[in-house]
Amino acid sequence: MKHITKTYGALVANNSIDLTLQKGEILAVVGENGAGKSTLMKILYGLEAYDSGEILINGESRKFRSPHDAIDSGIGMVQQHFMLFPPFTAAENIVYGHEPKRKGILFNRAEASDKVKELCKRYGMYIDPNVKVADCPVGLQQRIEILKVLYQGVEIIIFDEPSAVLTPQEVKELLKTIKDLKQAGKSIILITHKLSEVMAVADRVMVMRLGQLIKTMPIGETSIEEMSFLMVGHKLETRKIKKIGQGSAVLKVEHLTLAGTGERNTLDDVNLFVRRGEIVGIAGVSGNGQSELIQCLTGILKFQAGSVIINDQDVSNRSVQEIRDSGCACIPEDRYYWGNAAEATLVENAIMSHYKKSNLMRYGIFHKKNTTQFANDCMAEFDVRYSSDKQAIQELSGGNVQKLIVAREISQHSPFLIAAEPTRGIDIGAIDFIHSKLLEKREKGDGILLISSELSEIFALSDRIYVMYEGKIAGEFTRKEATNDKVGLLMMGGTLNG
Amino acid sequence: MDEFKKRKLVDDVASPLIAILAGLLVGAIVMLLTGTDPLHAYGEMFTKSFFKPYYLAETLVRSAPIMLSGVAAAVAWRAGYINLGMQGQMCVGGLVATVMALYLPIDSWWGTVLCFAGGMTAAALFALIPTYLDYKFNASLIITTLMLNYAINHVTNYFVAYPMRDPAGDGMAQQSIQIAKSMRFFRFSNKNAMNSSVFVAVLVVLLMYFVFTKTKFGYESKITGLNKHFAQYGGIKSMKTMFQTMALSGALSGFAACIEIFGVRYRYVNSMFSSTGYAWTGLMAMLIAGYNPLLTLVYSIFLAGLNIGGTALQRTVGVPMQIADIIQCCITLFVSVRILHEFKQMQANKTPARVGGKKGGTT
Repeated sequence: MKHITKTYGALVANNSIDLTLQKGEILAVVGENGAGKSTLMKILYGLEAYDSGEILINGESRKFRSPHDAIDSGIGMVQQHFMLFPPFTAAENIVYGHEPKRKGILFNRAEASDKVKELCKRYGMYIDPNVKVADCPVGLQQRIEILKVLYQGVEIIIFDEPSAVLTPQEVKELLKTIKDLKQAGKSIILITHKLSEVMAVADRVMVMRLGQLIKTMPIGETSIEEMSFLMVGHKLETRKIKKIGQGSAVLKVEHLTLAGTGERNTLDDVNLFVRRGEIVGIAGVSGNGQSELIQCLTGILKFQAGSVIINDQDVSNRSVQEIRDSGCACIPEDRYYWGNAAEATLVENAIMSHYKKSNLMRYGIFHKKNTTQFANDCMAEFDVRYSSDKQAIQELSGGNVQKLIVAREISQHSPFLIAAEPTRGIDIGAIDFIHSKLLEKREKGDGILLISSELSEIFALSDRIYVMYEGKIAGEFTRKEATNDKVGLLMMGGTLNG
Repeated sequence: MDEFKKRKLVDDVASPLIAILAGLLVGAIVMLLTGTDPLHAYGEMFTKSFFKPYYLAETLVRSAPIMLSGVAAAVAWRAGYINLGMQGQMCVGGLVATVMALYLPIDSWWGTVLCFAGGMTAAALFALIPTYLDYKFNASLIITTLMLNYAINHVTNYFVAYPMRDPAGDGMAQQSIQIAKSMRFFRFSNKNAMNSSVFVAVLVVLLMYFVFTKTKFGYESKITGLNKHFAQYGGIKSMKTMFQTMALSGALSGFAACIEIFGVRYRYVNSMFSSTGYAWTGLMAMLIAGYNPLLTLVYSIFLAGLNIGGTALQRTVGVPMQIADIIQCCITLFVSVRILHEFKQMQANKTPARVGGKKGGTT
């Protein structure tokens, strides 16, 4: 790609970017949200038109009007949100669009299945062609997505934030797959926020910031520190966590039990507490009951046994509003599913859970000036970048959406906060910012329950750590006792001896 | 900011206008095929709907129940509840109000107010039947509201065909007797149908605009419609919102029916709401308007004019009045294409790297 430029109105998303990819090479593209890396990839994959510049494939100039053209030129993309039909089998999804036919019209299922098996063998990625996508865990779905792209016969594969949705084990598998694909002669572009992954697999890295190409360098000549410095434009401080005295419990969960669909309880006799001035981390591979725990604590799910006491009030199985009123705010785990209404404006999203307060609303009628003021203050304090407060929130980047949600919940100034995956899938600048805000809240003497599948995040912030496995608390550590190995072992269902 | 405003303007105003022009174009093609001069016909049509006092009055009077049932639909749709039962709710509201007006010892303006209250309450309760079925048994609101339209139309027809039938008629007309003069809306002149009910309807639409944009109820129902999980997470009670929304939607439909009866017809007539199709025209108006009450008002007047003009066209130019229906349907079709397009774009936006962001934006 040569001198690619793309503007949205006054905003320059890509300013004369050059990108070269050698055959059989893994190129990582890193940058903060809004740096323009997604735009660049959308242009390469034919999803966006560019204003000026040129795309050359094997020395030939190409113009893509749609992903279809890109695929024909040998460029495929593994999307972050999978483009699969859940009710169909893996094989059906993989051959979709290029189905083997019988007598010219009928779908040849057997041949499809064989082709998929052959494909699996060639690239050493194994799946059962006849399994339904709906029944596959996320990691496997991603593998199906990769196979689908490979089936299209592409030579260049773009991976867009591929590890954002995966568990640590699945990430390992994925990185291995990416390396195998390189061995097989494919060229790969990897877009990611996670610099450790870049160090692990990439040959070269390209850093972007604010629509500019900052630097392209071989991986051997750089470090995580240098990359993050280039991405953010300033140095990130390594943080010292202040020691502060901790008060009485602000959250007490006793014998919490939630029945599952089968024999096993989804949550089984969960006991935990959070003190004022304390961040308590819950580590665990996602899907071990963390989501359900959050939903029980916030009043969305009703549980069968046990009690939840927040701020000295028994709020077991109370309504969402009552629990919020008792002094609990919540940064939800999935910002798109729970955390915002995509088409609503920034103001409408920012005032959720605040709007009933008397300064924003009287007799059921909004005080327009105050609501707008409140939303703008919130966004200013948390450095949300936007062009108009009447913008739909879906126009913001993931990091900015998350900052808005964190702003909204921290502005509740509640004595207790649930922070679930507060930094999933966002760039390190935003992660750093959110972490500092959480620590600031802790220093004010509020209690925080931090649920994260990112172990490094748990270790960076928590005073105490619980490990969840299969709906149970598998262990509890103070920060001093906890090590990666011990916590990791419990997360995988192991036991500690002595 | 400027670019943002510009884009919004294009979305809200330009696209429906394009749809309307495209609809008129299709109408023109149909007319050409049937051997009529479209320019002449359209000229005739719009003069007869907007530029002659008699017809303009007809247009405005007809637009009143259309805009009200349109806003009634918008109330429910924007909260994510697809109410298609405005017609049935109008039948119930209209009948109950007529019964009250005819058989209770009430008169003058306060009698009208009572009848309106009764009709609206009845229509609201009627709208809650499918709501309850959906809530309790998960029966699709779309289907139950739609089906009840047919059932309730026949039920109300029974009343005007038998117990309430006006014996003075020519024996063919199945209709109730007329309500007292003191309870009717004020007519400005004997020459046309224009009456004060139109202003009341406009006021209510304006009030609904206020409710949509400035109130807690408007906010909660909008958020529920956009993302019910987010609403739940934020503490909005989904059941309460659902019942409130549907009751309001029903009440507004009932209001639309009362406006028609106390302002124009003065009696309940057999199938008066199914044959006129106000509810469906209203639905189209609010779809073109994208749930916005003010725009619903504008498009209701436009669509009413199209109907009136279409009828006039049949009399003078000899073009079948169905041409108006064709145009109206095409406009709605083109608007829904736009909605579909937006929907597709939304899906597309969700897929490639929402993280990373398409707009950095400046503060």
